[in-house]
Amino acid sequence: MSEATHPQPVSQSELARFQQAFGAALAGQGATPVAGGSALARALAIHRNTSAKAAQDALAANYPVVRALFGDDAFSACAGAFVSAEPPREPRLNAYGAGFPAFLQDYAPAAELSYASDVAALERLHVEALFAADATSLDGAALGAALDPDAVLRLHPATRFTAFSSPAVSIWLAHRDGDEAALGEIVWRPEAVLVTRPGLDVRVERINAPAVAFLSACASGQTLGVAATAAAEAGSDLPTMFAMLITAGAFA
Amino acid sequence: MTLTVGLGFKLEHFDDASMCRAQGLWFEVHAENYMVDGGPRLAALGALRDRHPISLHGVGLSIASDTAPDAEHLRRLSALVRRVEPIAVSDHLAWQKWDGVHHSDFLPFPRTRQALDRVVDNVGRVQDALGRPMLVENPSLYVDLPGHEMSEIEFLSELAKRSGCGLLVDVNNVFVSASNIGINAAMCIDGFPADAVGEIHLAGHSPDPDIASNLLIDSHDAPVADEVWRLYRRLIARVGPRPTLIERDDHIPPFDTLMLERDRAHAILVDADRARAPVHV
Repeated sequence: MSEATHPQPVSQSELARFQQAFGAALAGQGATPVAGGSALARALAIHRNTSAKAAQDALAANYPVVRALFGDDAFSACAGAFVSAEPPREPRLNAYGAGFPAFLQDYAPAAELSYASDVAALERLHVEALFAADATSLDGAALGAALDPDAVLRLHPATRFTAFSSPAVSIWLAHRDGDEAALGEIVWRPEAVLVTRPGLDVRVERINAPAVAFLSACASGQTLGVAATAAAEAGSDLPTMFAMLITAGAFA
Repeated sequence: MTLTVGLGFKLEHFDDASMCRAQGLWFEVHAENYMVDGGPRLAALGALRDRHPISLHGVGLSIASDTAPDAEHLRRLSALVRRVEPIAVSDHLAWQKWDGVHHSDFLPFPRTRQALDRVVDNVGRVQDALGRPMLVENPSLYVDLPGHEMSEIEFLSELAKRSGCGLLVDVNNVFVSASNIGINAAMCIDGFPADAVGEIHLAGHSPDPDIASNLLIDSHDAPVADEVWRLYRRLIARVGPRPTLIERDDHIPPFDTLMLERDRAHAILVDADRARAPVHV
């Protein structure tokens, strides 16, 4: 068979028209515009189901503590609503759900779980750290040699940090450890988190405001001198903070 | 015969999988799960790859879309292929992209001459980007769409002939599709062009009573069914031994349980190989 007898398809081909109609029907937009009757309606239901289940399973895998906070049934309902609102845009489902923390801020059924969005934001940082590029963490000796106030410390590709208005870090850590006692003792206060990946294991720990100030300065390309001044002004015990950040593998 | 039967790799089976020395064993992973910059998952794949041959099975190329494969996705797949140097790269005869949304399922389309042109072109683009042929798998079908101009076998045979791709025969999908659409599964199995068959998949299926009691779903959540084993023996008897995969993606049993199914398929391939003696192993 000659290729010349089969010219390249043009844009509004019958295949394109079919996929337009099938895609709209899958999305539940109007009646089924593809001929085929009840057998087609059943097939659409199966494909809709399989596709939504894959996305919901990926969301559950990426947000295990939010799922535990909600309980399985409430999380399923929430995940279903999220998948409808923000379906996957690409085939890598292990990266799915970046918009989930923001979605939870406005998710009315969980309004009493005001910290759920913060916990989700922490879990997202965990996913980002898990899949970030590999790099050797800066060790204490290397840092000592680089203690030039004009040097710029580079964050490890997996390093993430942020400040919350809720005790999201304590809540997350207590759930991860299955620590009922710790859950009962959580004090309502703002907390900040540092997520790192020294070697291959992701670490999550609470950090204080001076450490956030220091890391923010480093992340924006400020020199070590400027970053240290920012941390000191926020009340840092610099040697302790350096030791903590080095142990965590925050720099590359 | 070097490669016989492989298993879908699960991270929780890493230690058992790495240590296993079964003759002819290999592993397959979903390519998309490893399209990441770094970290423990990619490291585990690298360590497994040092001990066993790896096949990259894609679930996201959408080669039956009426658009070219996504350039960014192809770039990621190419990078993974260079890193892993897999024994095979495969994906499905289906489409998944619509209006910016990715459906994590294998959607059907009318098998027209025009659709064939498009899929031939798309497979060609993938093969050009990867610098090697790919394998294309028959998906599970749940409805006999109106508008087909050729059977699935005719479509796949033409696709293989024109694009140079190989075929991945999913025997469970043949059984599920034939059951759902009401055609003869053995006749379908007999129709695959022997020369093009590069890999075979075996998996379990389940009914979905919530949607329709008489439909089977390609669920990968159960052992391989007896009817599927019979079709597999029939296919192997005709085309000879081919690398075969036991797929399991849900209700995953212990590694040793999967190895029992794997060894059953391995025995079928070894028998077929002996039947074709003289053989230089």
